[in-house]
Amino acid sequence: MIEFEDVSLTLGDFSLHQVSLEIHDGDYYVIMGPSGAGKTIILETIAGLHVPESGRVLLDGKDMRSIPPENRNIGLVYQDYSLFPHMKVEKNIAFGMRMRKIPQADIEKQVRSLMKRFGIAHLAQRSPLTLSGGEQQRVAIARALAIEPGVLLLDEPLSALDPMTREFFVEELRTIHREHALTIVQVTHSTSEARELGTRMAMIMDGKLVQEDRVEHVLRSPGTTRIARFIGYENIFDGVVRSIEDGLSRVETDGVSVWAVSSASIGQRVAFCIGADEISLYNEVVDGSALNVFPGTITKIVISGALALITIDIGIMISAVLTRRSATEMEIEAGAKVFISFKASAVHVMDEDEVTPMKHHDPMATT
Amino acid sequence: MKNLWEFWISRKSRTGVWDQCLVAFAIIGGILVMLPLLALANITIGQLADLPYFFEVATDRKVIGSIVLTFSAGLNAVLILLILGTPLSYVLARTQSRFNQAVESLIDIPLVLPHTVAGLMVYILFMQRGLIGAPLAGMGFFFEDAYPGIVVAMLFVAMPFYINSVKEGFQKVPVHMENVARTLGATRFQAFCLVVLPSSVRHILNGSILAWGRAISEFAAVIMIAYYPMIISTLIYYRFTTGGIKESTAVAFVMIVACLVVFLVLRTITRFVGRYDDRV
Repeated sequence: MIEFEDVSLTLGDFSLHQVSLEIHDGDYYVIMGPSGAGKTIILETIAGLHVPESGRVLLDGKDMRSIPPENRNIGLVYQDYSLFPHMKVEKNIAFGMRMRKIPQADIEKQVRSLMKRFGIAHLAQRSPLTLSGGEQQRVAIARALAIEPGVLLLDEPLSALDPMTREFFVEELRTIHREHALTIVQVTHSTSEARELGTRMAMIMDGKLVQEDRVEHVLRSPGTTRIARFIGYENIFDGVVRSIEDGLSRVETDGVSVWAVSSASIGQRVAFCIGADEISLYNEVVDGSALNVFPGTITKIVISGALALITIDIGIMISAVLTRRSATEMEIEAGAKVFISFKASAVHVMDEDEVTPMKHHDPMATT
Repeated sequence: MKNLWEFWISRKSRTGVWDQCLVAFAIIGGILVMLPLLALANITIGQLADLPYFFEVATDRKVIGSIVLTFSAGLNAVLILLILGTPLSYVLARTQSRFNQAVESLIDIPLVLPHTVAGLMVYILFMQRGLIGAPLAGMGFFFEDAYPGIVVAMLFVAMPFYINSVKEGFQKVPVHMENVARTLGATRFQAFCLVVLPSSVRHILNGSILAWGRAISEFAAVIMIAYYPMIISTLIYYRFTTGGIKESTAVAFVMIVACLVVFLVLRTITRFVGRYDDRV
């Protein structure tokens, strides 16, 4: 288990402020946050490349302050792969084992097995600089796994790959995690990577841990509007709780009342977000279990790949996502009158402290 | 004239049409290239006009001895830089201490000082009564008018060329690479030896060539501490003041030929050393 106890550290423009977290054995732990938030510093601190100015890093209960990186048995793969350019692929993979003075015959056997496992046996004598991004990625992961690490640290390993190679590696990483029963800590910007791979995640912003939980929980229930915005919520509003009935809160924002599952009290100012995929769109009003049903007018349709992001004016601007095919079948067009519905449980209410003056977050404004 | 210009700019380069801007820049820059070219042509024609005399000078034991002395003292200075300058360059490349700027300024001093001043500084430090010279003289190690004096003067003036080049090379090796090496089990020293050094070999070689070139071309700093034994610059100056232009230019031409050969060989080697992309 990896534990951070109030770890603070400053490195040039980057810093960590009293970060405490626990990564359990076998976790696929995702660290997310904006650029410059301090995510990579966390990885490098786990690896022992930085010593905390205050606080402790514990590995299996042992304070690692005086343990140098070479004695931690932790694999590290950077986004740029950091392959050694003066060594052939084979030598790159063997590097860690050579440092450990493993007998040459065992090294060769392990290198052959890893190259076969990752489908790079034909690249053994190639220079790393001549490989494609995907090939370099395989070599880098093979090199890190060659030392049979207790923990594998991945710093945005998929961000430089093309979509197809990326899909392949998501599956590959899942397999590695399962086969090796490894603890993996991965830094990423991507919500989809976190969703596809992670078991738990930490959200780091401005060097601080702002939320830490199971991945699905953080993605469904972001703690702050900033987190909600970062993980891609299209609909973020602030409002006031006007009434509470049967354990549900009626939150009013710009004259529109929305039912939400919340523990907030009457009169409390809150922020809330609704996932665009939680909103259903109809041409006619329908009976359903959803408490929140509103008539509205379509103001904008943005087609992106197989999906259509539709903005509807219901008194507030709200975004819903449909498949492109559904949008075509419904003959949706700007100016059309529609109905939307969403469940009270789809409305995620956040703390009052985090209420922002922003009425509506236009997803297009950040792209 | 107009036709000639149009002829030139209409000619196609390997990559397409001649770029008018580049052609204009090349003509302006060509004026600068003419300077060494004319000087070289001038001295070469002069020497070729009297080949027997040139061969007489070229085979003169004093001239050959002086060139060997110059080259070997320069090589010694580079060896010292390799041993002492390489670790210093690494520290400067990998740390961001407030002392770095002060250290870098100190190393760059020989770049901005008149070389006589540099020579004087070296002399005062290494003369028999000098801060370093005195204790070493006590052990029988002298710098004044001695080979070590030449090496020290050369080392002083060549230092910034080596340090700056190698530091730049180390800076270009991503810290990530060292970090990965360390997580794989290498100590910092092993990561330096096995990852950083091989990745910077071109810069080390370039720095060495620059430093060696600077060292063997030094005159003022060397004569302040060691007029004897005569390095080639001193010998040329001596021949110029005692034997005149003909004698000194013949020695100078021998040096030019020797340097051209050596640098051509070194530059050819550098083209192949430290290239890791086997597609090229």
